[in-house]
Amino acid sequence: MPETVLQAEGLSKIYHSAERQLVVLDHVSFEVQQGTTSAIIGPSGSGKTTLLGLCAGLDIASRGTVSLMGFKLNAMNEDDRAYLRNQYIGFVFQNFQLLPTLTALENVMVPLELRGERQVGAKAKELLARVGLADRLNHYPSQLSGGEQQRVAIARAFINSPRILFADEPTGNLDDENAQQVTDLLFEMNRQENTTLVLVTHNLELAEKTQRILRMKGGKLIGG
Amino acid sequence: MIEYSIKIKRAVRPFFRDRWVWQMALRDGKKNFGRLFLFVASLITGIAAVVAISSLNYSMQHELDRNAKELLGADLVIRSTRAFDSVVLKKLDTAQRVFARQAEMPSMVMFMNTRQSRLVKLTALQGEFPFYGAIVTQPGNAQTLMKSGRFAMLDEALARQYHISSEDSIKIGNTFFQVAGVVEKFPGGGALTATLAPAVYISMDALDSTRLIQYGSRVNYNLFIKTQSDSDTEAALKTIKPWRDEFGLGADTVEERKRELGEGFGSVYRFFSLLAFIALILGCIGVASSVHIYAREKRDEVAVLRCIGSSGWQAFNIYFIQIAVLGIAGSLAGAAVGVAIQQVVPIVFANYLPVELQFGISWRAAGEGIFLGALVSVLFSILPLVAVRFVPPLSVLRADFLAGRVFSKTRITAIVLILLFPVLAAAYQTKSMVIGVLFAVGLVVALLCLALVAALLLWLVRKYFPVNSRFTFRHALSNLFRPNNQTQVLLVSIGLGAFIVATLNIIQSSLLNQVEFKGNSNQSNTILFDIQPPQREGVLNLLTKYNLHANQVVPIITCRISELKGKPTDQYKRTDADSVRIPNWALTREYRVTYRDSLHSSEKLTKGNLQSYKKGARDSVQVTISEGMHETLKVGVGDSLVFDVQGVPVKAFISGIRKVDWPKDPPNFIFVFPTGVLNDAPQIWVVATKVDEPQQAILFQQELVFDYPNVSLIDLRLILSTVNELFSKVGLVIRFLAMFSIVTGLLVLAGAVLNSKFARMKENVLLRTLGARTRQITIITLIEYGYVGIFSALTGIFLAFASGWLLTKFFFEVEFAIDAIELWLISAGVVTLTVAIGWYNSREVIATPPLQVLRKES
Repeated sequence: MPETVLQAEGLSKIYHSAERQLVVLDHVSFEVQQGTTSAIIGPSGSGKTTLLGLCAGLDIASRGTVSLMGFKLNAMNEDDRAYLRNQYIGFVFQNFQLLPTLTALENVMVPLELRGERQVGAKAKELLARVGLADRLNHYPSQLSGGEQQRVAIARAFINSPRILFADEPTGNLDDENAQQVTDLLFEMNRQENTTLVLVTHNLELAEKTQRILRMKGGKLIGG
Repeated sequence: MIEYSIKIKRAVRPFFRDRWVWQMALRDGKKNFGRLFLFVASLITGIAAVVAISSLNYSMQHELDRNAKELLGADLVIRSTRAFDSVVLKKLDTAQRVFARQAEMPSMVMFMNTRQSRLVKLTALQGEFPFYGAIVTQPGNAQTLMKSGRFAMLDEALARQYHISSEDSIKIGNTFFQVAGVVEKFPGGGALTATLAPAVYISMDALDSTRLIQYGSRVNYNLFIKTQSDSDTEAALKTIKPWRDEFGLGADTVEERKRELGEGFGSVYRFFSLLAFIALILGCIGVASSVHIYAREKRDEVAVLRCIGSSGWQAFNIYFIQIAVLGIAGSLAGAAVGVAIQQVVPIVFANYLPVELQFGISWRAAGEGIFLGALVSVLFSILPLVAVRFVPPLSVLRADFLAGRVFSKTRITAIVLILLFPVLAAAYQTKSMVIGVLFAVGLVVALLCLALVAALLLWLVRKYFPVNSRFTFRHALSNLFRPNNQTQVLLVSIGLGAFIVATLNIIQSSLLNQVEFKGNSNQSNTILFDIQPPQREGVLNLLTKYNLHANQVVPIITCRISELKGKPTDQYKRTDADSVRIPNWALTREYRVTYRDSLHSSEKLTKGNLQSYKKGARDSVQVTISEGMHETLKVGVGDSLVFDVQGVPVKAFISGIRKVDWPKDPPNFIFVFPTGVLNDAPQIWVVATKVDEPQQAILFQQELVFDYPNVSLIDLRLILSTVNELFSKVGLVIRFLAMFSIVTGLLVLAGAVLNSKFARMKENVLLRTLGARTRQITIITLIEYGYVGIFSALTGIFLAFASGWLLTKFFFEVEFAIDAIELWLISAGVVTLTVAIGWYNSREVIATPPLQVLRKES
């Protein structure tokens, strides 16, 4: 039986303002098994990015719990969650989020170096070669195109051999051709590395490439 | 699902062993060090100011120690206002001691080349003075020549002013002297002394021939002694002790002179070091401001780092290392600049320092500067950097996500340390905790006032926004309220520099106004003194001859106080508890009093009344005393005093207290007797007049000096120009130090301009898209910084009005006055500099084509 890597139970996220409270996420529960691919889709404001943030430990739920590889995220402080992310999680963002002051190679090396590992250049170079950027190692993000930047981000996301990879609109800022390349690369590497993929997207075509689609509306999970 | 343990085991690496943090600091820094240029520049400016002043202080202390004996020229100097009694001289005379004598008195001297004359300090020398150091003359043999007969030496500045050379002659009293040379350096003297009281040197033997010493002449006698050892100096001091009071003797030792000079310089140093310290505090604002903006810019990167597993402390440490390294580098550079400036100081201010400074590096000052810089960079960057620790990783997904306020012990500690810093650092700088606390409080109050004035100005602009003005003016004004524009910080930091310069200017104007003579007033500007009674009529006739009106013809009698409120003054000095409060000088000094039955134009009776003398009633003499002195002597209306008038005791009672406007229509007096009491006492006369024409003044002085050589003339206009000259010179140093503050303020401005660059680029692109031309955008930019400059200048000058008024009223006790033109010039300077800096840093913004920005955006 496949192992459950992510378990959300009764997740709610509520923002309080002076007069009222805004329920962004309302009692969401689901599980994700190791090695599977899932997409969270829904209209703008449906709570999908909030859900991704909670699942990845980027934020804390107002109610409910998230277990990631068995670790209860609610019970951990921010630095412990950061450590957990470094050990088990990979990220790909819509706006790439590369560190502008580091080269492509340095950007990819960062997660392993954070662990205190040395001699990580070779692995980073190999990953950059796999995403087709072997000749762009020493380029800074500002010297790369959008597609190239997202490929560097994918290499960075996989360098720590994550158990689970969260992707937020990974093709949202790319043209069709680049979007296709990035999608292929993401799924291909996910398969090769046996990573669990959870992505948030508006793009139905992209969502349909995953094994499971979780539909959100008004902060509630309405299907999947 | 497998149940894992809830607690994750996170390895925490110590700061120095966290290789990744150091690696990231270096990698990130390579691309960012340029962006922290302003941080470094702020630090360099602040530290340079502190190191320059501190280095000057240490060099000065070192030189004072090294040249201690040369400052006095002897081991011991005994001073007296009358010729030394032979009893005293005999007691002091031992085979081991060597003596030299000096007599100093004010006297007129006429320069025969131009027949101009002026009041000088006549210094007569006898013996081999100085025993230590040398009188530096030009030519070198001038002193030897002077000793040989009727030769005189002049202070260099005096000779230059009156174009005197060795072939010329001068007339002092009844005697003509040939000029032997000029004095470039005199032990313990300096150009400052020479500016205030230029000296002419003659031999003691020649002094007698001038016949200047008459009744009422104010002569100071100095006996210079070279002793065998320190214990011999002590013994000599003990020898004169019994005669100190009787003969009015004073003494100066090398240690005392060193201490006096050290204290004198110490006060000046404290003032200057506080000015330098203001530059440092502005530097701190610059540091905090640049790091704040840097940390804000790094928010996105930190969020990414947090996403991929960096802890809050690790993210903080990356930037902390960068700041600390640059802080140390900036401190080193600042210390180097400070040391370089200090090398220039001896050249620029050589004439105003009591000792000649040697070129050299004060390692202590440099070391302190480096430490201070490192401390400042760390302390003032921690607060803005702490925010990095709390950047929520979620902001990667939502750029507008704001984390709630987090309680941070580090933040609280940093705030406490930052508040303590100005107190401790100012206390260290001035070596006084009290001054440190007062300065820190003053600085905080000044900054708060500046911030208040700036906020008020901005509020007024918002409230009365000129909605109908031209687009460029309106748009530039609204730019001041751009989010994160730091307009208020800019007004405070640039305004602080303007405030210092303007306050100095107001004080200068007020003091000069006090001694200035109004063209249409009949106030005296020339005082003739030391007129002997038989000369009185002749001098008055001379005035009439030159159509000069004698505004005052006043007798002066010298006396001392022997009893106060029924007790001999000796008792106050020795036993009475009042001695703590009545200063010794007030009890022992010689008073110059006059007699008249009316108030002078500069006086107002504030208490009591004027009472005439009833003939024969010697025990009911009623005198008036000046306000201030009655507090010093602790006397009031009805109290009795006994004056020793040339050996004759005169008992008097205080009948009234006068408020005296001292600079107005001199001479003015502390004690005024009624007519009839002192009329027959030995006296001299003083005549005050007003001379308008310079040519008339020269001719009058010529005839006066020829006919009445012992009569001295004070040209108050000359004093005014001397005071003005002195102010210009001291002002130069203050302005120089205030420039550091202005430069730091402008660095803060440059930082703010650069940091709002992208926001302004976007605005300009939008304007361009809507059809704005480069010229319009340039004009808007220039007007925007023009506003910043104007508001900064206004902020500084408004506050300078307040501080200037307070200082003139309560500290200098003079009338508040301003020089509007100079204040306009200061404002114009601030505005010009602000616009220049703003425009220089905005060139890229103005010149960037829209497409480039759009690409960057995408």
